Amino acid sequence: MTGTRTIEDRLREQYFTLLPDIRRVAEHVEAEVKYGVLPVSHRLSKYEQLVVTSRVKECESAPDALRRRQVFGTFDTDRPTSYSLTDLKDLAGVRILAFPSSRLADINRVLRKRFPSWQADPVVENGRLLAFKYSGYCQASDKVRGEYQIVSTLIGLFWEVEHAAIYKPAPELKGIARDVGVRERISEAYRALGAFEEEFEAQIAQILEVHRRRRRRRRSI
Amino acid sequence: MTGTAGARKSQLLRKSGYAYNFNRMVYFNRQAKKAFSVEFVEDHSASYLQRYIKKTEREPGWHFYFNGRDLPTAVRRELEGALG
Repeated sequence: MTGTRTIEDRLREQYFTLLPDIRRVAEHVEAEVKYGVLPVSHRLSKYEQLVVTSRVKECESAPDALRRRQVFGTFDTDRPTSYSLTDLKDLAGVRILAFPSSRLADINRVLRKRFPSWQADPVVENGRLLAFKYSGYCQASDKVRGEYQIVSTLIGLFWEVEHAAIYKPAPELKGIARDVGVRERISEAYRALGAFEEEFEAQIAQILEVHRRRRRRRRSI
Repeated sequence: MTGTAGARKSQLLRKSGYAYNFNRMVYFNRQAKKAFSVEFVEDHSASYLQRYIKKTEREPGWHFYFNGRDLPTAVRRELEGALG
């Protein structure tokens, strides 16, 4: 054993120092979000849904996520102490999945009131908003930032499947998704999911309109 | 990055003999000894990229193109080792 620690070794050690804070932030933000969305979730129709989940970034993916943020995905080994996992905004993350996508704006509005100082970083693909995303500090920790995303159910589940199938077993494969060719295919998936969602929502709106007319007719008889 | 612009860049890089290293997130060509960071490719047009692909370099050794000024020596060393 040489006794020389790599930057990744240092970051793994830091991860376990931060872990209690990361967990507290995830629990805190999840609880705040669940409470904050009540005015929306209480008004949902039976075909609508709103799901809130939280996750703590895993030890193996945190240093890798920080590395990918560096130029050429490479740490400068001449400055080993200049890296900190606290630079990551999503060590503790909450995701709000909503259907139909028209509910995203409602949820965004109520949550902005609960997290007014959090920084916005929307996820946009080809000019189309895919998700509202915010990050910032909460009462649970002054070291670790939390993040929440509001995304349509189909896109959110696509991200979860993509993560579970590809990146979770091998976080280093995350760089593949940045290849321009792969980005093209991912864009096509977003377009298809968006079109499916729009069509589905239009069909539901039509059905609801028919029900409304029937009710009105019954009342008038 | 729009769909068609992405496709054009992808085609241009492949045709020009550039491979993608997903670990370093870099497009590189060992023969030309040139490498483009993924951010550089994302932020510039296909015609801009082509100019750099065609550019004749005066200095021997690897040439790294990225959105920034100076590449730290340790990063350069590591990249040169990784790209061969």
